[in-house]
Amino acid sequence: MDLLAQVLVNGILLGGLYAIMAQGLALVWGVLNIVNLAHGAFIMLGAYLSWHLYQYLGIDPFLGLPITAVVMFAVGYAVQRGLLNLVVRAPMFNTLLMTFGLEVVLTYLAQFAFSADFRTINPPYAGSNVALGPVVVPMARLMAFGAALALSIGMWLFLLHSRLGRAIRATAQNLVAARLYGVEPRHLYAMTFGIGIGIAGAAGGLYGTISQINPYIGGALTAKSFAISIIGGLDNPLGVVVGGLILGIIESLALLYVGATFGDVASFGVLVAVLIARPNGLLGRTA
Amino acid sequence: MTRPLVFAIAALVVLAAVPWMGSDVLLQFGINALLLAVLAQGWNIIGGFCGYASFGNSTFYGLGSYGVAIAMVQWDLPFAVGLAFGVVLAVMFALMLGVPVLRLKGHYFAIATLALALVMTAIVSNIGIAGQNIGLVMPPLNNDALFYEMALALLAAATGTVLWLSRSRFGFGLIAIRENEEAAAVMGVNTTLYKVTAFTLSGVFSALAGGIHAYWITFLDPDSAVNISLNVKMSIMAVFGGPGTVLGPVVGAFVLSGVFEVLASKLTTVAGIFFGVVVVAAVILMPRGLADLFYRFRTSGWRYFAENIRAYRL
Amino acid sequence: MSVILEAVALTRRFAGLVAVDAVSFGLNAGEILGVIGPNGAGKTTLVSLISGTLAPTSGDVLFEGRSMLNLSPYQRGRLGIGRTFQIMKPFPGLSVLDNVAIGALFGHGGSGRGLAEARELARTQLDFVGLGAVADRRADELGGPGRKRLELAKALATQPKALLCDEVMAGLNLVEIDEVIDIIRRVRDSGVSVLVIEHVIKAIRSLSDRLLVLHHGEKIAEGTPEAVLADSRVVEAYLGRRRA
Repeated sequence: MDLLAQVLVNGILLGGLYAIMAQGLALVWGVLNIVNLAHGAFIMLGAYLSWHLYQYLGIDPFLGLPITAVVMFAVGYAVQRGLLNLVVRAPMFNTLLMTFGLEVVLTYLAQFAFSADFRTINPPYAGSNVALGPVVVPMARLMAFGAALALSIGMWLFLLHSRLGRAIRATAQNLVAARLYGVEPRHLYAMTFGIGIGIAGAAGGLYGTISQINPYIGGALTAKSFAISIIGGLDNPLGVVVGGLILGIIESLALLYVGATFGDVASFGVLVAVLIARPNGLLGRTA
Repeated sequence: MTRPLVFAIAALVVLAAVPWMGSDVLLQFGINALLLAVLAQGWNIIGGFCGYASFGNSTFYGLGSYGVAIAMVQWDLPFAVGLAFGVVLAVMFALMLGVPVLRLKGHYFAIATLALALVMTAIVSNIGIAGQNIGLVMPPLNNDALFYEMALALLAAATGTVLWLSRSRFGFGLIAIRENEEAAAVMGVNTTLYKVTAFTLSGVFSALAGGIHAYWITFLDPDSAVNISLNVKMSIMAVFGGPGTVLGPVVGAFVLSGVFEVLASKLTTVAGIFFGVVVVAAVILMPRGLADLFYRFRTSGWRYFAENIRAYRL
Repeated sequence: MSVILEAVALTRRFAGLVAVDAVSFGLNAGEILGVIGPNGAGKTTLVSLISGTLAPTSGDVLFEGRSMLNLSPYQRGRLGIGRTFQIMKPFPGLSVLDNVAIGALFGHGGSGRGLAEARELARTQLDFVGLGAVADRRADELGGPGRKRLELAKALATQPKALLCDEVMAGLNLVEIDEVIDIIRRVRDSGVSVLVIEHVIKAIRSLSDRLLVLHHGEKIAEGTPEAVLADSRVVEAYLGRRRA
């Protein structure tokens, strides 16, 4: 019973992190109709950025999160403005292809710049354990979960209440009408993508504190973010949180009871089932 | 009508003669390129003509591979029977899962097919008859020339099918579905039947390619059989060459295979970056593929690229 | 006078909103029936219910006496129900000719027809609506009025027995409206029964044999144009209640 509780808590903590990883993808997909195959690669870049900030400037990964987020935001803005905006009105598959190309470039650039070695971000307090009743939790995981949750809620509030957030949501419905908010579409698109990547970068920074970084983690993270975005629905950040938690819990349970490979089967089985039964996601409204 | 036909037959004859012209390395490259071209052509049917970009054809490829492997290793049946078995599996799979999955549109369809491919990998990794993680080893047949000709014949069949599509009522219906599915429906196109048929047809070619490949390399394990990256490769090749055209996917497959080969022999990292940059540039400058580039460049010249950007930019 | 198309207590609910409320009417063979009503009255929803694009919450559609309840859009198209879309749905990458040829290939008259024959028929249809000169252009090169005619030509190519026209005159100038009125009259004269949804009251008054008025999803009037347009409920629906 204690083991089950431990597994569930592990799943929840993991799920929170998964959720923030997926938020950026869901935002960009839901608003811009761009499926970003390079999403995981940007997470990876954010992780490396946080690592370098810690390694060479001694900036704590959690405190330095805003820096990572802002830098990655700038990167995302530039990518959208300079590259993606050029193909936005082409058939959907073309943006898919472009992000695929970006993924390849980013992964190999990372391999070139950082080598294939594994790294982690290890602030001194990260190793200690916290006891929550019968369950033991590594400090880093708990903090990462907290930060992830805070970011997700922040994003939800931003989209719902800020002027820019509402303009972004309007764009998802009707690009022409969004112009009424007085924001130029190319800029608005770039801002949206920038926010998505900024959050992905921050998620990468968190990821680096609990798991190992190498240039190739992008692919699996993109896949997981897809699954979560679809399960949770594209137009609701809280839905993505739910999706992340569900995936985290399922993975932990599957890992315990069935073994590693079936963890993946379980996740993707759930994904296919959700897609077929509720194409708009468990909580979503728009496709 | 006869000029292109003569040209095609000549090309076929030249290609068929390759085993006696080149080195072993060229032959192996040829087999891989031909099989990739078959996959690209198969994808062309469901993705290029029908507009449903599938990321799950690797599933059919895997079914074809395991069909041959299981038939030959576990049940001692000849290769041809194994191929047929693989095709039967692919057809069953396409019919069963095609109907619900084809109800999804655009990105959702692509992702659902990708998820299917992933589930498939996990399943074969865990089933005894498929050799689980260890895989299966088939009786070896050391005749690359034979495999080459088989692959070439399969490509000819696939291309011939696509040629038929481009002139037939069925193909027209697929195109109508791609261009505007709702309008096609009210005008009398049985969209469900047509989509599932296209999906199945594309799966059959993928399965046959998988079967030939499996017997050729003799050894099969989950990673090589259900190779997810194949999905990306085949769709890129088809789109790069020209989706919805007859020869586009073939040209795209040959060109990109050649590029991969050349780059792979050089520095891998730089090669990788270069490849990614080429893909990004191609999407911006020639979004409708090589085929379109050839046709339009004659009329528009260098303005072709500027026109593309202007047409598709925000 | 025989009824070719009949709506029987047709109702469609969308999570709390009743878009079409127990609407019953008949389209007589060889007539032009106009359907008018303020914005949001449920006109396009009604057409979608008849063509099969939407399923009714309750009620039925009878075509030539036969229930359409479980038939999908393509089946209804093949039986002879044609429709145009208010939000136009051309096949953008195909030529104008091929857009229409699809209808000739798959529509009501289409089985067994070859591609060449379908294209010939498509040319006839294009001439009929006045698009003959642009047959070989890409469909997405056409402007608004051209696209509206293309919608008509596509539907006509399926050789329907009943044609549902959804706002084919929207956005046209007076000259173009007159041309479309002429086209619709010629369609009727060729033996097709037509249901026309329109906002341009002047046009529909002269075109229709009978008029039907929808308001908030309900049928509030049905009859000759003169009678219907003089009906106080119709005037009220459009202009609001006169203050005492």
